[in-house]
Amino acid sequence: MTQKTTAANETMMVGEGVGFARIRRITGYLVGTLDRFNNAKRAEENDRVKHGL
Amino acid sequence: MPRQIRKRNGVVVQFDASKIFGAIRKANQAVGEEAMTPEMIDVLTKKVAASVEGNDIPTVEQVQDRVEEQLIAFGYAKTAKAYILYRAEHAKIRQAESSLMDIYKELTFRDAKDADIKRENANIDADTAMGTMLKYGSEGSKYFINNHVLPKDIAAAHINGDIHIHDEDFYMLTETCCQIDLIRLFSGGFCTGHGFLREPKDIRSYAALACIAIQANQNEMHGGQSVPNFDYAMAGGVRKTFRKAYFKALAQYFEVSHGMSRGDARALVSAVRESVGSEPTLQRGEAFGQALSEWLPAHQRENGFEAISAQEALAAHAYAMRTAEADTDDATFQAMEALVHNLNTMNSRAGAQVPFSSINYGTDTSPEARMVIRNLLLATEDGLGDGETPIFPVQIFKIKEGVNFNPGDPNYDLFQLAIRTSAKRLFPNFSFLDAPFNLQYYKPGDYDTEVAYMGCRTRVMGNVHDPDRQVTCGRGNLSFTSINLPRIAIEAKGDLKKFYKTLDDRIDLVIRQLLHRFQIQCGKKVYNYPFLMGQGVWLDSDKLGPDESVAEVLRHGTLSVGFIGLAETLKALTGKHHGESAESQKLGLQIIGHMRERMDEESRQTGLNFTLLATPAEGLSGRFLRIDQKKYGKLPGITDRDYYTNSFHIPVYYPISAFKKIELEAPYHALTNAGHISYVELDGDVCRNLEAFESVIRWMQKCGVGYGSVNHPVDRDPVCGYTGVIGDVCPRCGRREGEGVSIEKLRELRKKYPSMPRFVGLE
Repeated sequence: MTQKTTAANETMMVGEGVGFARIRRITGYLVGTLDRFNNAKRAEENDRVKHGL
Repeated sequence: MPRQIRKRNGVVVQFDASKIFGAIRKANQAVGEEAMTPEMIDVLTKKVAASVEGNDIPTVEQVQDRVEEQLIAFGYAKTAKAYILYRAEHAKIRQAESSLMDIYKELTFRDAKDADIKRENANIDADTAMGTMLKYGSEGSKYFINNHVLPKDIAAAHINGDIHIHDEDFYMLTETCCQIDLIRLFSGGFCTGHGFLREPKDIRSYAALACIAIQANQNEMHGGQSVPNFDYAMAGGVRKTFRKAYFKALAQYFEVSHGMSRGDARALVSAVRESVGSEPTLQRGEAFGQALSEWLPAHQRENGFEAISAQEALAAHAYAMRTAEADTDDATFQAMEALVHNLNTMNSRAGAQVPFSSINYGTDTSPEARMVIRNLLLATEDGLGDGETPIFPVQIFKIKEGVNFNPGDPNYDLFQLAIRTSAKRLFPNFSFLDAPFNLQYYKPGDYDTEVAYMGCRTRVMGNVHDPDRQVTCGRGNLSFTSINLPRIAIEAKGDLKKFYKTLDDRIDLVIRQLLHRFQIQCGKKVYNYPFLMGQGVWLDSDKLGPDESVAEVLRHGTLSVGFIGLAETLKALTGKHHGESAESQKLGLQIIGHMRERMDEESRQTGLNFTLLATPAEGLSGRFLRIDQKKYGKLPGITDRDYYTNSFHIPVYYPISAFKKIELEAPYHALTNAGHISYVELDGDVCRNLEAFESVIRWMQKCGVGYGSVNHPVDRDPVCGYTGVIGDVCPRCGRREGEGVSIEKLRELRKKYPSMPRFVGLE
């Protein structure tokens, strides 16, 4: 991870500009994070609804 | 007659019927028979013009579609064909003028986040130098194949989105994937093409060489690599490690308890190894201990060495067993941890990708294999450094009644552990050997008869070429091409007869294309694949010399026809998809059943393995949709989203219970013999409820699903290392996406969570 730190009010801050990693199954395999999805798969992931039992 | 027409570049110009007249005449002249009079051409021209009259300005493509229809309607089949070829040729020329250099510009000057073309496959990083290089090669190759290799009508069908030739960039080069038998490969050692490796002697080297084998094969094929029998294959390594650890511990025992010198202790142990017939194993420990206690006292006495009683020999044995078991377990965990780490970090394809790897396991009930499975699951549960979720290998836990599915089955505990692991890490997926279409091949204890899945879903088992070799190992898919099903349904306008007619034409076209590619593949020699064929990984390739053709052995592979968007197809045909109506489900099964029958028929006729695939379609879901949206506009429920629904799945946006979804999708698994998968989406809380998770898997097994998994959100905050569901705010450190956290707070948190990531230089 790239570290970006700033001194805000003399406190060292870690993680500015760092997003959350969101791992999803794409077609049977996993993908490191949503950023790598193509546009169509991103839209599909966004539309997914949870299935109740 | 319409007054205006929209050209391809969007410009609206005056409608000119003489252009239609000219095009028909040209096509007719090109045929040389079916001579048409100018009057006839005029009639056709008027028919076409009348058919595009309406409120909307017609497009050139629409007019051309009508010309095709009228030619066919009036019985000018050959002229129609010439006209189609003429269109295809012009489509190619248009593409040729604009595309390749524009693509290269886009690849060169735009980031992946802005350019969809660089994210076609999520596991390739196209922002890196080697990733971009790979894309240059890939796009250049596709251009070459489309314009200089493919028969014209096939190229046109691919370009216009009737069909999609997967991995088209590799058309002239290789096959999709292979199921590697590591047991055969390791026996006697092997060569990667860059050096010879001895037969491994320890579980750690077994695991390391497994990665190397996957990597070497991946570089010779365009798809993924799978180990169908990972537990059986690694068990041999555990057995060797255990034996070594046992004798080491036995020597140590005598060093400590008898004050023997290391040399004497080792000499004693080597005498034991030579003279006591059997070998110590996890399973047969007792028998070996008995034999040792009978042999050792006499051996000491007869040689005038210090006395060791039978009882003492047994105590030494007990210590050696205990120690060896613990040491072997540790070594196995390390080996599995290293395997998972390696498969997520080692390079393939000039560094643009990690190898696409899958491993199947779960059915070997030997103590060695059980140790492998348990430790692999534990290492997966732990995750990578800093607790990241491993993306590779795709893990597939094979479920089998009597082996691991029910309480009392020998590997039931491992099934339970697999569920716990999957609920945290999304892997393993689950395959079902009891599904009738898998069970028909199964022979207990013979891994070659256990169906395996590639991570993406590919399945290779039946073999019409050689019915005695319906086996998993050494076989794979040769190539696959998908049909745009929704388009056929849109064009049929509710007419089922027309739908099936077009579908049959498309299947014919794809079969012709697969055979065209197969001929090219058959032109290769063993030396084109130094590992896959040169090392005998592919079935029967061990019988070939380096200069021999691979044509014959390739016949063990599969040629697959795939499809996408059954849900949209049914919407277009009936107004309802198969989740909404039982009638649609019936029709869906008829359509897919019909496709399967065509595959079986083709297999019978050719002796080649034609199979039906529920296409994975990562890049395709958007490609077909975009072309069709342009062609037909946004048809509600059909083309109004940004993607076509995957294979036979119920649409992701449709609310339905997990059980119902599984029940509706299961029958399609039986029809798609080239591969399939069903998954359901559970929310984070249900997922932590392992009973609920298990109930879903058990329902899949009951319904006859072949391969399935449970999706749930796995989010991770790289700053504090929290893994689980993250909404807007990280539940551990309280930051929002992009916000910073103070060092003090992280230090405070670390007291509670010692495995949190560290920040070099800051703490």
